[in-house]
Amino acid sequence: MSSTENSPAGEHVQTGLPVEEKRVLCGTGKRDSEESGPLRSFLEFSLGGQWYAVDLGHARRILRPSPIARVPGAPSEVVGLMNRAGEVLAVLDLEKAMGMKGEVRGPREEGGFVLVLHLGGKEAGLLVDAVEDTWEIPVDKILPVLETVDSARARFFEGTVARDGRFVGILNVSICLNP
Amino acid sequence: MNVLVVDDGTSLRGYDCGDVMGIEEIPSPPETGDRAEFLVRLGRLGSPKGVRCREIVGFYSFAEPDVHPLPQVVKERMTGEVPWGVGITERGLCLLY
Repeated sequence: MSSTENSPAGEHVQTGLPVEEKRVLCGTGKRDSEESGPLRSFLEFSLGGQWYAVDLGHARRILRPSPIARVPGAPSEVVGLMNRAGEVLAVLDLEKAMGMKGEVRGPREEGGFVLVLHLGGKEAGLLVDAVEDTWEIPVDKILPVLETVDSARARFFEGTVARDGRFVGILNVSICLNP
Repeated sequence: MNVLVVDDGTSLRGYDCGDVMGIEEIPSPPETGDRAEFLVRLGRLGSPKGVRCREIVGFYSFAEPDVHPLPQVVKERMTGEVPWGVGITERGLCLLY
């Protein structure tokens, strides 16, 4: 099943999700502020005890992982390839891409999801622990990347949002999809 | 296209049947109890080489809809031998070399 929705930014978002999964993507759609001004919509997910968000315009689907074929010779950030209804989808490990392997991290939840991102004709799935919510936020509420994030990892982010007493890193989808 | 599909223990690999010059069985020492392996000899472009594998899965005739390019995000990250495509089989995805 596929559906087209209007994002708050006026863009058409091809979610392509079954009804029960599409509800996850639509989430509460709540605003973080009643202030006026340009808004951006994000999809928030958790991974390794951290919170991340991607621009909703770059989120295409949320899938349950199916068997993943490894690709010999690919770097460790490439988990492998997944057959998605007759199409071949690359699956990436964001933590390994950011060089977080071996760092202390929270327990990974069982199961998880593959969040499919697209940008400029490129598409890939990210392994995530859970999809949390979608929300809108005024552009002027997006903070710079935290100074505590090391420079190698900082390039993966375009900013930070403070929500419910925690920081959510906004991913730079272009960096995630390009080596 | 006709492809010989093998399992190297990590992934399924497919080679154009026209490139396959022969298949040799490599017996394992009896005391190990391991299964025999295979050496697929390829004669691609005048530079013959062998590919060791655990299992000969079989010959596949791929229809066009079952053959896909390697996703760009993977291709851009790879060094060394890069599969030119990916085939869909009932055993899973097969990397085409």
